[in-house]
Amino acid sequence: MISFYKHRYIYFIISTCLILAGVVAVFVNGIQLDIQFKGGTIFKYTYTGTIDEARAENVVELAVGKTTNGQLQSNMAMQEQMLILSLADNEALTSQEQEAVTAALNQAFPNANLALAESLTVEPFLGARFFKNGIIAIGLSFLLVLVYVGFRFKNIGGLSAGTMAIIALIHDALIVTAAFIVFKIPLNDSFIAAVLTIIGFSINDTIVIYDRIRENKNLYGGKISTEELVDTSINQSMMRSINTNIAVFVSITIVYIFAQIYNIEAIRSFALPMMFGTISGCYSTICIAGPLWTMWQNHKNSRSLVKA
Amino acid sequence: MNSKYTFFVIFILTAVLLFISMFGLQIGGAEIKGADQMRFGIDIRGGVDATFEPKDLGRAPAADELESARAIIETRMDAANITDRDVTIDKTNGKILVRFPWKSNEADFNPQKAVSELGETAHLTFRGPDGSVILEGSDVTKSYALTSQVDQKPAVMLELSADGAKNFAEATGRLIGQSISIYMDDTMISSAIVESQIIGGGASITKMGSMEAAALLANRINSGSLPFSLVAKNCSIISPTLGNNALAVMVLAGKVAFALVCLFMLIYYRLPGLVACIALILQVCGQLLALSIPQFTLTLAGIAGLILSIGMGVDANVIISERIKEEITAGKSLRAAIEAGFNKAFSSVFDGNITVIIVAIILIKFGSGSLLSFGYTLVTGVIMNFIAGVTASRLMIRSLSTFESLRQPQYFGARRTAKS
Repeated sequence: MISFYKHRYIYFIISTCLILAGVVAVFVNGIQLDIQFKGGTIFKYTYTGTIDEARAENVVELAVGKTTNGQLQSNMAMQEQMLILSLADNEALTSQEQEAVTAALNQAFPNANLALAESLTVEPFLGARFFKNGIIAIGLSFLLVLVYVGFRFKNIGGLSAGTMAIIALIHDALIVTAAFIVFKIPLNDSFIAAVLTIIGFSINDTIVIYDRIRENKNLYGGKISTEELVDTSINQSMMRSINTNIAVFVSITIVYIFAQIYNIEAIRSFALPMMFGTISGCYSTICIAGPLWTMWQNHKNSRSLVKA
Repeated sequence: MNSKYTFFVIFILTAVLLFISMFGLQIGGAEIKGADQMRFGIDIRGGVDATFEPKDLGRAPAADELESARAIIETRMDAANITDRDVTIDKTNGKILVRFPWKSNEADFNPQKAVSELGETAHLTFRGPDGSVILEGSDVTKSYALTSQVDQKPAVMLELSADGAKNFAEATGRLIGQSISIYMDDTMISSAIVESQIIGGGASITKMGSMEAAALLANRINSGSLPFSLVAKNCSIISPTLGNNALAVMVLAGKVAFALVCLFMLIYYRLPGLVACIALILQVCGQLLALSIPQFTLTLAGIAGLILSIGMGVDANVIISERIKEEITAGKSLRAAIEAGFNKAFSSVFDGNITVIIVAIILIKFGSGSLLSFGYTLVTGVIMNFIAGVTASRLMIRSLSTFESLRQPQYFGARRTAKS
C-alpha cells in the first residue's frame, strides 16, 4: 500500500512548482486572448506558388487602412499553403471592407489562386462579453459542483469534502490554464470548454475516492485512523482512477495527434490542454484532495480533543 | 430479464442500432437519417455565421424593426435559393443571427459579398403592370396583418403618407382591374388586382392564405421604410473544403480512439472488457441517434465531445470491473461478486455522471453555437452511459456468467479460483 498521506508535502511541492511555472509563463508569454474574445479580424487564404507576406500585409493595409500581421503556413498532410492575415482593431471589419481585402489581394497576386478558406471577425465589445460569459460559466460550475459534493457527502463532512474537492479542481483548472499559456494558445471558446470539461470529469475521480472513504468509514467505523482510512480508500480505487484516465487520455491524445497532423486549429488548441488536464485530474485526486482532507479531519479532531 | 440469453439479445439489439445509426431507417413516413446525413454545423459544411446589427443607429432597434430586417434577409435568401438557413432574432441585444451553408458545388460563390448584400437597405417598390414605379417603400408609413372584417380572412393593412396616398389614389383609379405588384429589390413579393380606386391613404391586401403569410408580407412591406441598413459585426466564414477535411479527420480520430480504448479494455478486463466494448458501441449509437433523430446540429467540437465521452464512458465499466475483481479476490462467489460489484459501484458512477451533466448544461447555457453541440454530446453520452455502461452491462455480465465455460476467475481478471 502506498502511503499518500506520508508523502503529501512532496506532492504539494510538485503541484506548486507546476502552477508557478504557469505564473512565470504569464509574465514571459503574457495571456493571449483569441480574436473571439478580444475582437479583430483574421483571414485565411489558400494559395499556390509563392507569396511575400510583407507585401500582402502592405496590400491589406492600403486597402482598409488597418495594421495587419501576415503569416505563411504550409501543411504537409493536406499539401496546402495558407496565407494568414490578422488585423487588430477597435472595430470589426465590415463585409464590404472584407470584400475590399480579398479583391486587393487577388489584384496584387493574380497568379496565386487565392481562395478564402476561413475568416472571422468579432467586435471587441462582443468578444469581451463572450469572455465574461465564459468566466461566469466556470465560476458557476465550481459553485454547483461544491454544492452537489457537499450535499452527497454530508456524512464524511460535506463542507470539508466539498472544499477539498474544489481545491483539487482549482488545481486542475490552473494546470489547464497553464498549458494554454505555456504553449501560447490564445484563449477562446476551447479554453472555456476545456476547463469546464476538466471540472466535470476530474471531480469524478474525487467522488469515487470519497465514495470509498464513505464506505470504508461505515465498514471500519472508528477502528482505524483517518490517515489509514484515506490511504486504504485511495489505494483501493487507484487502479480505477488510472485506467479510466488512460482511456480518456488515449481518446483525447488521438484527437490531438490527428488535429496536429491535419492542422485543425480549433480542435488542436482544445485537445492539448485537455491532455494535461486529464493527467492533472488523476494526480490531484490521489495526491492532493485525499491528503488535504485527512489534514483537515486531523486538525478538527485534535482541536476537539483539546476542548475535551 | 434474467434469461441466459440476455447477452445475445442485447448484442443483436446493439448491432441493429449500429446499423440504423450508420445507414438510417425509413418506415412509412418516418425517417431516421444515417450518420452521413447528420445536420452538420457551419464549421463542417462550410458556410457563414453572421450576427447583424443596425448600422449607425443611435438607439436600440424596436422589435418590429428587427422583424422587418429579418424579412429582408429571408426574402433575399429565398431569392438566392438558400433554403437551409437559420435566421433568429436576439431581441435583448438588438441583433439578428444568420447562419447558412456554403455548398461545395458553388465554386464562384463569394461569401463576403453575400454578407454585404444581405445587410443592404431593402429597395421596396409598388409597380404597375408595365413596371412603372407607383410607390416607394418610404411612402408606406405602416403595414400590419389583421383579420379582415369583411370576409374574416387574413389581410394586410397599409397606411400611406400624404404623398403616397395621392400617388396611390391616382394609380388605383387608372389601374382598376389590373394588377399592382410589390417588389423587394428585384424580387416580386406580392401582386394584387385593384378592385376599386383607393383614396385616403389606407389600403389593404385581402384574401391572404394564412395569418403567417399576412404577417410576413406586412414585415416585408415595412422593411421599405426601415431607417437603417445592417452590418455584420461578428462574422465567421468557412469554406466547405476546409470543413469537409476536418470532418474526415475527426471521424478517423474517433475510430482510432474507439479501437484503442476497446483494445485496452479487452486486454485488461477480459470478459467484462468485452461487455464494456459492446456497451460502448451501444452508447455511441445512442448518441448518434440522439443527434440524427431531432437533426441536432453537430459541430467539430461536438465530435470532440463524442470522442471524449468514449473515454469517459468506460469509466462505469472500469469501476464495475475493478469492483468485481476485488470481490472475487475477497473470496465471494462469482455470482455474488458480480452483484456486489454493481451495487457498490453504482453510487460513484451516479455521482460522477451527475457532475458531468452539471457542467454540460452550463456549457449549453453559456456557450456559443459550437459549444452547444459539445455540451449536447456530453449530456447524451452520460445518459446513454446509464443505459449502456450500467444497465446493459449488468444484464450482459449476469447472462454470460451463467455459462459454465465462462465462469473462470481469470476471465474476470482475478487471480484466485472462485468458489462456485
